[in-house]
Amino acid sequence: MSRKVLCLMLFLQLFLLVACSSHKEKNVPLEDVGMVGIIAFDYIDKDNMKLTVAIPQYSPDAQRSTQTFSVVTELVSNGVVEIEKLSDKKIVFNQLRVVLFNEEFTREGNIRKVIEHLYRRAEVGNNVLIAVVKEKGEDMLKYNYPDKPNINFYLNDLLQPSINTAFNPNTTIRDFMYTITNPVYDPVIPFIDKNSDKIEMKGVALFKGDQMLELIDPKEALVIQAIQGRKNLAPLSMRMEQGHGVEKLLIDLVQNDVQIKSNKSMTSPKLTLSFEIKGTLVEYKGERSHVFTTGKLADLEKDVSKELEQDIKKFLYKLNELQVDPSGLSEYFRMYYRGKWSREKKREILDKLEIDVHVKTSIISTGTLK
Amino acid sequence: MSTGQSKRKILNAYHVIFLTQSTMIGVGVLSLPQQLSSLGYSQAFMPLLFGVIASITLYPMIWINSKYPNENLFRINEILLGKWIGKFVNLLFIIQFIFFIAGVINSYMHLIQSTALQEKTITGPVLCFLLLLVYIVTGGIKLIARFSMLIFFITFGMVYFTHWAFEKGDITHFLPLFNFYSANDFYDALKKGYLSILGYELIMFYFPYIVDQKKAYRHSLIGIWISILLCFITTAISVMYFSEWQLRNVEFSILNLFKAGEFSFLERIDIFGITLWVFLIFSTVATYLWCAKKGVDSLISKSSNVHLYILAAIIFFVVKLPSSRAFQETLFTSANYVAYMLIFWPIILILVHLLRKKKQVQL
Repeated sequence: MSRKVLCLMLFLQLFLLVACSSHKEKNVPLEDVGMVGIIAFDYIDKDNMKLTVAIPQYSPDAQRSTQTFSVVTELVSNGVVEIEKLSDKKIVFNQLRVVLFNEEFTREGNIRKVIEHLYRRAEVGNNVLIAVVKEKGEDMLKYNYPDKPNINFYLNDLLQPSINTAFNPNTTIRDFMYTITNPVYDPVIPFIDKNSDKIEMKGVALFKGDQMLELIDPKEALVIQAIQGRKNLAPLSMRMEQGHGVEKLLIDLVQNDVQIKSNKSMTSPKLTLSFEIKGTLVEYKGERSHVFTTGKLADLEKDVSKELEQDIKKFLYKLNELQVDPSGLSEYFRMYYRGKWSREKKREILDKLEIDVHVKTSIISTGTLK
Repeated sequence: MSTGQSKRKILNAYHVIFLTQSTMIGVGVLSLPQQLSSLGYSQAFMPLLFGVIASITLYPMIWINSKYPNENLFRINEILLGKWIGKFVNLLFIIQFIFFIAGVINSYMHLIQSTALQEKTITGPVLCFLLLLVYIVTGGIKLIARFSMLIFFITFGMVYFTHWAFEKGDITHFLPLFNFYSANDFYDALKKGYLSILGYELIMFYFPYIVDQKKAYRHSLIGIWISILLCFITTAISVMYFSEWQLRNVEFSILNLFKAGEFSFLERIDIFGITLWVFLIFSTVATYLWCAKKGVDSLISKSSNVHLYILAAIIFFVVKLPSSRAFQETLFTSANYVAYMLIFWPIILILVHLLRKKKQVQL
């Protein structure tokens, strides 16, 4: 009896599974699916935006390796429907890698709403990278980069974490949603620009609330990453004046360790940041002679520490003046605050915040030459 | 199988542990951090409190069962409350089970539909699911227990998938500890969140099959605390990984925790995890369906597999109910809240039991 029932079930299930795949009009074969790799949003006016998508072209007969489509739309999903009208393929977002916004959009438009929409869509991954484009995202996608195989790979690889661009926060959709909804943070997004035939990472776009506030340069952006506890930093190229005239040097293979202590006070907040930086001195240009000997190196280390302390302090006070906190320093006060934390509380803290920076530099190697 | 062996003791210690454990982990854990979100970051330790409550409420269940070592709760109801009131209460339990099962299947299938199978309707998957479910349940409680053990070891590996979220998260979110003041928030979280760990109360139905009934409390407790630990891992990592806004608004937090990372050969781990989750749903629902079937058996005083098929058919129609999503949701949520009654039911039974005993002594 039970064997018969089992057989019947098996056949029923097989039948059902077959039935599942026989809906011809519903299932699109893989070669007819256009997998969007990059999507760009350009600002037009308060209600409208220009939406451009780049889809890798796998057909060997096509002249260009990327298909691009642009439409003007009010809603993201409506734009996708419009693009389907232009495209011979079904547009899906499962392979989305990069989202671009132009600078105007981040300053005037509602970037949060767009990203929230993408965050909501189940087929979009959370590790999709975001970048801000100086001029127009559309131009960047439509341009033919002669020595690059495909804009989809090029941009994705450029924005991926790499040690020489360690200042890049590698903001993903999840990171953006996390920082914009978390009252202790202000979001940061890498800022890129087309430079003749190449795309260059110019720095980091700093947000205040939902709007872009300022572009900060890579050197300052590196401080944000260092505070957030990134272990390996980009090569530090320094220009310092500490009593030996103008000196230039480059420290490579930088390792960073940071400790942050707060005095837990809401009325007179004070933070102490101690950095421990280790690295290899690669190149030096300046007045000092025999820098690469041990005794002189100690002096240099001290001066480098002093210079870094000044730089970091200057940058952090600048951020306080702007009332933004991209590295989440106010978290060290929220941790000890009972009650609900809000953006206003953060601004309040930043207003009064006093910062003490200690840097301890050690140059652990100078190469193999004496 | 279930008819011939119904009077025999077949569940050993491991069976009890994993039956308790796997019935608790079902569809509820997926959205546990969201259910607890009224507490904000302080929710991390809530599952531990739930564990304590579960351990306390388990005691009266075992106690009343140990007074009637060969009867399940359906029979105990009839003995203590009389035939007709008992049968009526049993009927309520059966209806609650049906809606509970339908609710679990419904929410899981909608999740599958919105993530993995976007272009399909859920009829096919639900039918396949129910057929397999019926097949598992016809094997009897021992088979379900062994299935649960297997599933635990298959799905336990999913804990590994959360390590990316753990690495990206901020451990400072745990502080300050117990940062909430409104008792209302606490009550809200307790009410919604406790649903996720329901399932241990089913021991009242399979208790007569346990070999070592004296140690049943201890074994069941181990199962409960394994589940609580898993819930705790979920809420703790969610608290680290999400902002408070995300805790409130991201419906299936575990899915997003899985989304945090990727392998070089596998990008969308959430899809992988969510389809693997079907096993956890099976092990939860199978025990409930088995209990419902036992209930129908005792209601009609006849044991037959036909009851099971009828129950499965009813569940199918409840899941496919042609009504709005909102109505279904209210239906299933209210069915869930009725489940709380089952937790406090043994206390009422104990009172009745003691009163009767007193009467008998007086006579």
